[in-house]
Amino acid sequence: MKLLSQIWVVIVMNIRSLPQRLWMSLAAILAVTVVVAVLLSFLSMANGFAKTLEGTGSNDIAIVTRGGSQSELNSVLSRHAVNAVSVAPGVAKTADGQPYYSAELYVVVNAIKKSSGTKVNIPLRGIDPIGFTLRDHVKITAGRMFQPGKNEIIVGQKVLGQFSGFELGKEVKFGKSRWTVVGIFSTGGTAFESELWADARTVQSQFRRGDSYQTMRIKLTTPGDLSGIEKAIKADPTLNLDVKTEAQYFAEQGQALKNIVRVGWAISIVMSLGALAGALNTMFTSVASRSKEIATLRAIGFSNVSAFFGTLAESVVLSVLGGLVGALMSYLFMDGMTTSTLGASFTQVIFTFELSPALFEKGIILALLIGVIGGFFPAWRAARLPVVVAFRNAS
Amino acid sequence: MTDFYIVWKNLTRKPLRLFLTLFATFIAFTIYGTITAFQVAWDSGVNLAADDRLVTVNKINFTQPLPVSYVNKVRAVKGVAAVTQMNWFGGYFQDPRKQLVMMAVDAPSFLEVYDQVVLTPKEQEAWIQDRQGLIAGEAVARTYGWKVGDHIPVNSNIFSQKDGRTAWDFTIDGIFKGKTPQTDTNSVYFHYKYFNETKSFGKDYIGFLGIRTTDPKLNEQVIKTVDDMFANTPFETQTVPEKVFNKGFIEQIGNIRLILTSVVGAAFFIILVIVGNSMVLAIRERTGEIAVMKTLGFQSGRLFRMILSESMMLALLGGGLGLSAATGLTWLITSKMPQMPPLLMTHSIVLQSLGFMLAMGLLTGIIPAVNALRLNIITAFSRQ
Repeated sequence: MKLLSQIWVVIVMNIRSLPQRLWMSLAAILAVTVVVAVLLSFLSMANGFAKTLEGTGSNDIAIVTRGGSQSELNSVLSRHAVNAVSVAPGVAKTADGQPYYSAELYVVVNAIKKSSGTKVNIPLRGIDPIGFTLRDHVKITAGRMFQPGKNEIIVGQKVLGQFSGFELGKEVKFGKSRWTVVGIFSTGGTAFESELWADARTVQSQFRRGDSYQTMRIKLTTPGDLSGIEKAIKADPTLNLDVKTEAQYFAEQGQALKNIVRVGWAISIVMSLGALAGALNTMFTSVASRSKEIATLRAIGFSNVSAFFGTLAESVVLSVLGGLVGALMSYLFMDGMTTSTLGASFTQVIFTFELSPALFEKGIILALLIGVIGGFFPAWRAARLPVVVAFRNAS
Repeated sequence: MTDFYIVWKNLTRKPLRLFLTLFATFIAFTIYGTITAFQVAWDSGVNLAADDRLVTVNKINFTQPLPVSYVNKVRAVKGVAAVTQMNWFGGYFQDPRKQLVMMAVDAPSFLEVYDQVVLTPKEQEAWIQDRQGLIAGEAVARTYGWKVGDHIPVNSNIFSQKDGRTAWDFTIDGIFKGKTPQTDTNSVYFHYKYFNETKSFGKDYIGFLGIRTTDPKLNEQVIKTVDDMFANTPFETQTVPEKVFNKGFIEQIGNIRLILTSVVGAAFFIILVIVGNSMVLAIRERTGEIAVMKTLGFQSGRLFRMILSESMMLALLGGGLGLSAATGLTWLITSKMPQMPPLLMTHSIVLQSLGFMLAMGLLTGIIPAVNALRLNIITAFSRQ
């Protein structure tokens, strides 16, 4: 008990005397601030991207693509394949007894990104009108649905913010074909909001796709159960198809930025070595400037353990303070920032930086580590400071 | 006893502090060197683009096809020295998650337009003669351990053969080098003819055209002639200089430059704070000594220069070490990860680093140096 109260007294004393070492302490705090802000910016970018895509897929929808095609863009499905799969067991039925699916096309078209003014790829998805109902939380927020057979498109809500020229009522040109924006839709913030939707058959004819499709979305009778469809595909030797739940498909696509996470960690760890040097420097200076004080405490009966923990605590407090400020900065400046990057289907995926509590924790742990290591060696020195020498040096 | 000797003694009097500040500087310049080398490599697609080369793509988007007949129509345009077709294959070797940059091309015209692909005459001839031949860049060959003469299957995640297979069989006829060390050799080329005859759909369509003009001055004219020629057809085109095309392509990924610059800025900010602070502290601790030196007749200007030299030396030493580490690191990355574009420590990076080191030395030394310059001997002694 006595030891604990000693430690507590020394910690409080050290923290209260921080203003005396203001500039060195600020330097240590700032270095950690920057490291944590950099780390969390990278992580919240990758996290926001993954969240957007993971949130997009539903577990009760199956997505069928040509075998080995990896993404919707690369896939091609013949009318025959679509028909064959539509009658497989496990495919849900609509109210009027028809197989519940949407055969879709995925055409890449140009758009102008507002932030840079440059041309980028965005997807124009041809869907069966019934395909509209295969997305969770989908609704038209302005205007109306496209009419089958007409050159009309509806535009995802996020497209409006990122790319210019897709406002309601605008005419859009893709090559020679002209299309009118008749509606805006939302899907609750998922990746579908980065897309343009039109009638699949109209897209087939305008883009010379014959009667071929690219992917098929199927409502499953049992969520997550693909066995019926898989069996049907295996049984037909003319079919070489992959089937996944939509949730699986998008979760895989969400991994596209996992290298960003690695780069973010690599840079932050190297930077934290720099910050560590700063912390050590600050703490050694602090021990040196407090050596008289430490010696006095020792002389009146405080143990060297209290000197050790007092110094360690000072370092940890500085680092955690830096970590908190860094996290706050990245929360203020990065969290909620919307941007877009090239996704696995070679089109822009619009996403929002998202700083989650789990990431915040990682940032604070890194700060804590810098504080503990940066405080340990100086604390060791403080604990072993010979009382006589300390008095002599300090005078 | 020279001034240099005093500066050196001052710098090294607290070895631990010297080590820590050097280390912080070292880290910042390691980050700076590596990231800048990466940025230069990243931009090389734009910087190495030839001025006399154009790219013609479908106006809707470059992933949309063009008819193969366009090649001959463009060849007849005045000012066109050579034209070739390219088709993205979506190839992968064994691992579907690792895409190859693989194009179906018309070999003779391809080599004419893209002179950064360097083959020996023997390899070149072997490839042109061999219907199922391919040429691979040094970097790709290193990644997969390919050698000339190997027979390999390559899968496509887009196309399939008429018999339903998605794998094509190839013989490696050549491993090409880049024209300059910066040239990215992460690509594979094979014959369009083989591709066109075997694929199950999309026959007689191509991805885009590569054009070499007789003179960059004629670019504008060629662009206009080509795009006007195909206006109001089902396949309208858009022709742009290669530089513009590559830049647009890179920008699709996002503002990488902004990210990299922010990281470098953050790293420099950290050491500026750490090193600057230690310098102020170090000089403050020496207030008495400086006062003594002034009393002994050291001119203020001389002391000012000595302190600045100390911070400069610190920055140059730490920065130099960091830059060496960055050179080693980029060399390591380039030799161990052939899938990355070659990272090179160019002269301009070294010069820029030197500039930053000097700036850093000045910034961290200027406050203590000015303090020493202004130091009043009487107040300094009375403070003791």
